[in-house]
Amino acid sequence: MNFKIRAAKKDDCKDISRMIMELATYGKMPDEVKISHKELERDGFSSNPFFQCLVAEVPEENKSKEGHTIVGYALYIHTYSTLKGPAVYMEDLYVMPDFRGQGIGKSLMSKVAQLGKEKQCMRLQFAVLDWNTPSLDFYVAKGAQDVTASEGWHFLRFDGEALDKLANEAED
Amino acid sequence: MNFKIRAAKKDDSKDISRLIMELAVYEKMPDRVMISYKELERDGFSSNPFFQCLVAEVPEENKSKEGHTIVGYALYFYTYSTWKGPSVFLEDLYVMPDFRGQGIGKSLMSKVAQVGKEKQCVRLQLLMRDWNTPSLDFYVAKGAQDLTASEGWHFLRFDGEALDKLANEASID
Repeated sequence: MNFKIRAAKKDDCKDISRMIMELATYGKMPDEVKISHKELERDGFSSNPFFQCLVAEVPEENKSKEGHTIVGYALYIHTYSTLKGPAVYMEDLYVMPDFRGQGIGKSLMSKVAQLGKEKQCMRLQFAVLDWNTPSLDFYVAKGAQDVTASEGWHFLRFDGEALDKLANEAED
Repeated sequence: MNFKIRAAKKDDSKDISRLIMELAVYEKMPDRVMISYKELERDGFSSNPFFQCLVAEVPEENKSKEGHTIVGYALYFYTYSTWKGPSVFLEDLYVMPDFRGQGIGKSLMSKVAQVGKEKQCVRLQLLMRDWNTPSLDFYVAKGAQDLTASEGWHFLRFDGEALDKLANEASID
């Protein structure tokens, strides 16, 4: 099946939002999604966007059962390593189940890596849940190092009340 | 001791570079530092910077043995959660050993949280080595959740040859 990987446009936000919800359902946490296509439009398509996004598009004749031609996405962010310099963080990578096994996921990820390298990025990083063996195996087979397993890195988060409390302790 | 937390200026890059090296030595990775103050100037102080930075400054009369008044820093950038929206990632937080125990680290971290909240961020996230118990305890005591321990999140990385190979597999447009 033919497919095309291209930069997302503002008009793609409803499709991206649909797929974010599908990915959250796969991650067993659909109730956690608090943002809609409107926030994506505001946050990803301003002059200083919070993120970049690629979409995978199939021709009309190969659209999904529900009529969608946008069948996958990769959402990523430019970050920084004080050891190595510019880096890319891939927040989400997702392909609709009926369109898997055709290289779409690999193409999306390679494109993120290629675009990152064009911006002198030295690393492509992302987080995966330990029970998600298909994804972990996929990434490790492509050459990723699991630096939690090998170097003991733990991912910490402040949110909700803990974040409010922390912020309130700052002096003005 | 008095100290001030303020936004870093381009001129602070030499001090920040010095502190980055001290932190790398503490984290047992001094040979992995590949960037100098020149890259920090280029990457942090352009119109579209890769990062933001705060520094902790003490008065001249309290300077370090080597004569430094910039004694700590917090380097962070904005990221995005597709579930929650804008977030802050704290890449580095460091205070020189002789200046610890006075609330400088806490003040730096709180300021990052405050600045993030002003930009509608709903999360502040960071990575920590599992052997670094003093720091892990510090953050958990401040209310951080260890998502690797509680939810099984693993951090993965492509670099070097593996990154080159991945990028070369992308179709040419």
